[in-house]
Parts: sequence; C-alpha cells; structure tokens
Amino acid sequence: MGGWFSSQPLTESENSRVKIIHSLARWQLDFNEFKESQTLVVIDFSATWCGPCRFMEPILDAMSNEYTDVEFIKIDVDELSDVAKDLNVQAMPTFVLLKKGKEVDRVIGAKKDELQNKIREHRA
Amino acid sequence: MAFSGFEGFEKRLEFHFLNDDPNPTINHQLGLRKLEFESIQQILQAVQCTVVSAVGNSYFDAYVLSESSLFVYPTKIIIKTCGTTQLLKSIIPLIYFSNNHLNLTLSSVSYTRGSFIFPNSQPFPHSSFNEEVSYLENTIPSNLCYKKASIMPSKSSSHSWHVFTATQNPHHDHDHIPYELPYTMEICMTELDPVLAGKFFRKPGDEKSGHSAGKEMTELTGINKINKEAFICDFAFDPCGYSMNGMDGGLYSTIHVTPEDGYSYASFECVGSVNNDDDDAIVHVLRKVVQIFRPGTMSVSITTCSEYNNEVWRKVASALEPLGLKCRSCAMDQFPALGSVVFQTFTPLRRKNASK
Repeated sequence: MGGWFSSQPLTESENSRVKIIHSLARWQLDFNEFKESQTLVVIDFSATWCGPCRFMEPILDAMSNEYTDVEFIKIDVDELSDVAKDLNVQAMPTFVLLKKGKEVDRVIGAKKDELQNKIREHRA
Repeated sequence: MAFSGFEGFEKRLEFHFLNDDPNPTINHQLGLRKLEFESIQQILQAVQCTVVSAVGNSYFDAYVLSESSLFVYPTKIIIKTCGTTQLLKSIIPLIYFSNNHLNLTLSSVSYTRGSFIFPNSQPFPHSSFNEEVSYLENTIPSNLCYKKASIMPSKSSSHSWHVFTATQNPHHDHDHIPYELPYTMEICMTELDPVLAGKFFRKPGDEKSGHSAGKEMTELTGINKINKEAFICDFAFDPCGYSMNGMDGGLYSTIHVTPEDGYSYASFECVGSVNNDDDDAIVHVLRKVVQIFRPGTMSVSITTCSEYNNEVWRKVASALEPLGLKCRSCAMDQFPALGSVVFQTFTPLRRKNASK
C-alpha cells in the first residue's frame, strides 16, 4: 500500500452527506449497524496522495445529495489501513457497496458512470 | 477535398523533475502527485482533452483521457494524446504549476511521435516536425541546454519516428535501480485486421457505461492476458474506440485503438526492466499484441540504455518473425538523457498488394 501518511486528515465538505470515519472503533460500531439495515452503504476508500481520489471527491459529494436513501462513507487508507486490507483495497479510489454488512459490488477507479449505475442497481 | 479520418497516431511528452530539497517533507516526497486536480484540468484544457477514468496505487496515478493517457509519478509525468490535440501546449502550464505550487524544477523533457496518417489536419504547432521543434525550443526553460532533434527513418517515407529531447544533464541519470536495465517500448500498428478491429465497436442499443463496455472488450479481446499481474482501467468510446491503462506496481502500460476501416490504428506502450533472463517479457508482450490486432504494419520503438540496444533489436525481430512479420528497417540513435532509441518497422512476409 505504501508507507505514506496523510498530510492532513480528510475533512468533511459543507455540502455533502459523506461521513468520514477516522477510527477503528467508529468503524466497528457503524459496521454493526450496517449489518442490521437494508440501506445500501457505499464506502469510498481514498488516499490524500492519490490524484484520481481528488477527482472523484466533488462527484461523490453530489451523489450523496442525490441519493439520500443511500449511506455514503469515506475511509482514508492510511488512517484505517487494516480495514482497507481486510476489504482487499489495492488501487484507489475503490468504492465498496455493502448491503446488510455484505459486499454486493465494487468499483475500482474514478468511474462516475459506473458508480452511478451500480448505486441505482443496488439501492432498491 | 481530401478525406480526413480520426488520427490515431499519438504525440507523447515525458517530463522529468528534480526533487532536490535537502529536507524533504512528506509532501515533497509526493512531488507531482500533490498537483491539485484543478491544475491538472487546466493543463488538459490547454491540450483539449478531459479525464474519462482514473485510478492510483502507491507508485503513481493513471488517467484515461478523452484522447489518450496521462501518468503522474512523484518526479515524472507522461502525457500521450492523439487526434488533433495540441499536446505541446501543456508545457507552459505544467511548468508553471510545478514551479510555483510544488517547487519542482524541470530537468529533462522528451517528445516522440510516429508519422501522422493525416498530417495536413494537424493544427499549430503540429503541422510539421520543424514547427514542433521550434515551439519546443521556445517554451522549454533555458537550463535544458543539451538538446537533440532527429527523424529516424524507415524504408517508407510515411513511417518515421520523430524524437526531440532536452536535458540539463546529458548523462542518463533517471532514477533507476542499478543492475536493472529500464526500457520504454512504444508499438504503433495500422491496417488492423478488420474482424479483430470490429471487437472495438459498441453494440448498438446497449445501455452499459463506457467503463463496463470497456471491461468487456478487455476480456473479449484477450488484452487482460498481456500482463496478468496488471490492474486494468479501461474505457469503450461511443460508437467505437477503446483505451486502457494498466498498473503493475510502478510499471504502466497503455493501449489505444481507433478501429475504423481505412484508418485503423492501435498503439501499445509499456515500461519494464530487463534483469538477467527477463527478456521473455518483451517477447511475450509483442506476440500477444500481434495476436490481438494482426496489423498490416507495425513499428516498434524502444528506448533503453546503450548497453542493451544491440540485443534489443534482435530480440524484437526474432519475436515477430515466427508470426509472419518481417523486419523491413532498423534505425538506432543516441539521445541525451534518454539513452538509445531503436526504431524498427515490420510488415507481413507476403503482402497481397503493396500499399503506401
């Protein structure tokens, strides 16, 4: 994955429903909630040193405002490297789609149309 | 009025920067990867192309563009664009952002391309190699004072390899691990087998995204078998056309296809290094590429250090001969900071009609 540390932590932007998880404890709590719910969860695994992740940021923010029945989470792969490793994240950005705690799909790369299609497909 | 189809032949720029801060901060180690996306967009706007797909790993970022590819490493950027893009116009904004925002100094730049199928359709400053070289000499910083421009010939006047390099240090010192011989291989193919080229057309009425149609093409054509270790970021254009970037650790590869009959074109480019017996990688790649495209003409241009250039042309020719492709020309030249460039052209052994 590379030993670079994020130069500053990811910050939430004003107009976005994307929730950033910074700690393992928070992740574990949230993940337990996901297992109980029918809501589609989209997790964006990003790195501050990855250009394509910055390219997708505003796109993901906009999607979070459009698909209000979907939960959007962002995880920094350096902050929560174990979670990234567990979910086998190797290239960034990787979007993992979960339902009831199980992975139903994933999109690897900054692929706006692809991500949009998959969110529409799985949100029902 | 002469017909002009889409120009598949790409223009390619490679920039190397010095990261010579004595106390590098973490940010400084990231170098060019810290470029703001808005800066990248401005650079691409100057060239008239946009980002269609992108992915990054711990070594570099790879962007699939509307007209080819962009690779961003900490101290190296490679931009390759086709059609009628004005690639050289990326130089000024790139130098501006890297100097002013990132404190990086340009240490060398190289520009390469084949011969355009439709040279009269190219805009300024690409209407001739002379014009390109003038533009380059006027825009690159004056510290890059060791320069060379050359047109490497083949037996056909319509198939040459154009090279311009400029550096502040003429010795080949791009950072590479000792004992490994790095190479860059650029393959250009025209007159693709029409049935094979047909696989790069979208099916009418399919509602897939360009990304998933691209993935289908990658698997259908066997492109995913060229390097099984590589992660592939692909895209299928509407109604036809295909691009992909491959990532294998710090090594990139890239393929671009213009499948239309009459001006069909495909390119394959990759970097690698020749350790002891790893020459098989070049042979394997060449064979797979020919299998996928069955081109009527093929040129192979390899940039490497001088110690290897004698072996490399033999390796390429011996890989292609059993596939019925005969080497028609071989030219070699040395360039400051690049090392050696070997340029070979191939056509099938038995041609039904000699064209062009």
